[in-house]
Amino acid sequence: MNRSKWMAAIVALALGLAAGAAQAQTAGTVKLGLIGSLTGPHSGWDVPAAEGVQMAVAEINGAGGVTVAGKKYKIEIIQEDAQSKPDIAATAAQKLLSDDDVHVVIGVLTSVPGVPVATQTAKAKVMYIGGFTALDGIIGTPGKELIFRALDTDQTVASGFVPTVVKELDITKVGMLMPNDDVAKTVIKAYEPLFKKQNVEVAMIEYFQPGTTDFAPVLRKFQNQGMDALFIGYADPDAEAIVRQSLEIGNLPKKFVYRGGSGSPAVKYADKIDGFVWQILTRDLATPGDDKVKGWIERYKAFTKKDVVANTYWALTFYDAVFMLGKAMDAAGTTTDQAAIAAKLKGMVYDGVRKMSFDADGRAVTDVDIGVIKDGKSYSIPEKIL
Amino acid sequence: MLDFIQTGIDGLMVGGLYATVALGITLVFGLVGILNFAHGQSVMLGAYVTFFVVLAGYPFWLGAVLATLAMALFGAALERAVFRRTLGDPLAGLAVSLGLIMIVENLAAAGFTPDPRFVDPPVSGSVQVGPLVLSSQRLLVLVVSVLLIGGFSLFLKRARLGKAIRAMAQSREGAALVGVRVSVISSAIFTIGSALAGAAGALYASLFAITPFMGATPLTKGFILAALGGLGSVPGAIVAGFLLGLAESFGSRYLSASFRDGYGFIILIFALLFLPTGLFGAGKARV
Repeated sequence: MNRSKWMAAIVALALGLAAGAAQAQTAGTVKLGLIGSLTGPHSGWDVPAAEGVQMAVAEINGAGGVTVAGKKYKIEIIQEDAQSKPDIAATAAQKLLSDDDVHVVIGVLTSVPGVPVATQTAKAKVMYIGGFTALDGIIGTPGKELIFRALDTDQTVASGFVPTVVKELDITKVGMLMPNDDVAKTVIKAYEPLFKKQNVEVAMIEYFQPGTTDFAPVLRKFQNQGMDALFIGYADPDAEAIVRQSLEIGNLPKKFVYRGGSGSPAVKYADKIDGFVWQILTRDLATPGDDKVKGWIERYKAFTKKDVVANTYWALTFYDAVFMLGKAMDAAGTTTDQAAIAAKLKGMVYDGVRKMSFDADGRAVTDVDIGVIKDGKSYSIPEKIL
Repeated sequence: MLDFIQTGIDGLMVGGLYATVALGITLVFGLVGILNFAHGQSVMLGAYVTFFVVLAGYPFWLGAVLATLAMALFGAALERAVFRRTLGDPLAGLAVSLGLIMIVENLAAAGFTPDPRFVDPPVSGSVQVGPLVLSSQRLLVLVVSVLLIGGFSLFLKRARLGKAIRAMAQSREGAALVGVRVSVISSAIFTIGSALAGAAGALYASLFAITPFMGATPLTKGFILAALGGLGSVPGAIVAGFLLGLAESFGSRYLSASFRDGYGFIILIFALLFLPTGLFGAGKARV
């Protein structure tokens, strides 16, 4: 054998050994389908949500992978863009589901593209963890046992939120102004009786066309009605427009109860309003209270090279869910038996950046924070649910 | 009664804004024959120019002027690079403008993020006019819209370029025969239309949220108004703009706010049934 043949043999042997070593380090790969609106009007929610999943996967893989029955598995993300459109979302979901190795799909925080994703995954009998409100009407129905929602339902959050609102804002009469859609109707159904239970009169309920930018005419309906607060929802642009236009046209309540996940609609008007209370459906990232949250914020900044903004909440929505999924796989001793993994998910409490669990149907039950802007100051109140 | 008057004034305030957008559309579509669906994107980009100028610490009015100029340049570049080549093929023009919507929207979303932005208006709060309480900024928008519309009408009547546009509106061939350079005028109309969209974008920004996807609403309403007023009819577009503002305002206040965009379409359907050539019976372009 001449010198060049010796060299070739040594290189081949080295490559073979390296490949064998890599195989010994991990038992295999878990493919995780990640779907969300990376473009289009819903990308404000789903881009940070996708970052949360990517960050969790990077951390898990950085630590050697997810441990299942004593073996390490790397997680590989297969990502599709739902483009904020239901038809594209359905196609994107089908594309993910055409890969037989994808056993779990995660993502989507808005109902319009979310519903077709949930429908497709249920048909394919593949586990799906989403976040959008319309999931509450899907979860718990026959054939949807593998579907989970990573955010608390309105019923769960509202039971603690409404008494806190009444106490913080000292209100007795509210008007509700919501977009004319299914989500708003679910919200009103959950909140109206809770206000009444707190002796707060719901004097008027009005709906506006989704996409409305000029609220002046509908706000005039609430003028001079003796109300001391407006209950509004559920998207930040709508909420900020309502706050701003209420101040512009005058003779309207200056206290706002926001069924939304950010205080940003009121920040600029903090010294002009009498109060603004909102739901931080994960943890307060603007004024973090505990070290777990502070540590997560630093890791998020390092991972994404972005600052924390109002919508970063959504990154945390799925971040903990990915870790919890890994724990459930370990507890079930499988990465592929979805029924066994789902059963473990429904029976465990995961103490991550936020404490979370799922009820018997698959709806999240997690601790949340309540944000308050009052007297020009912003602070948060923990709502212990677990 | 007081409430009725206030609602009417609310409608006029928004109507002025609608009329400004519709003017650009009716000029470009009615006179040049270009169905520019990307007109809404000029409104959106104009709003962002204003936002970034104000964010940099400069006054709102400087932002509005820069938005108008920037969109005039953008329109001129689009006409020269794209729409001039599709003049004889309306379907190709339509496809190109739809493609432009996607490109501009997604570039804006990538560059500016999809998060809604709000511009601090030059005036805030409300003013008491007799027994009426009116939003200061909305009142200002109404005044600026009326000045823009009035200024533009004056330009059409008095300026040499305005007269050439009117000549072309009456007869493209006739105008060409008496020495009007039709291709130059077409380019000027496109530029003016885009500048008006930029100005409308600045005014939008002073009232409403700015997002990369905000162009769709002014575009839809602009086309309704252009059809309602009669394609190419400047007075038609102006009156239709104020009519739509009033219809939306009264409809939302006294009927249902959840049907807001429907009121415009009801007016459009009636107009198409009973005034098929537009509010002023133009039948053809009328400036």
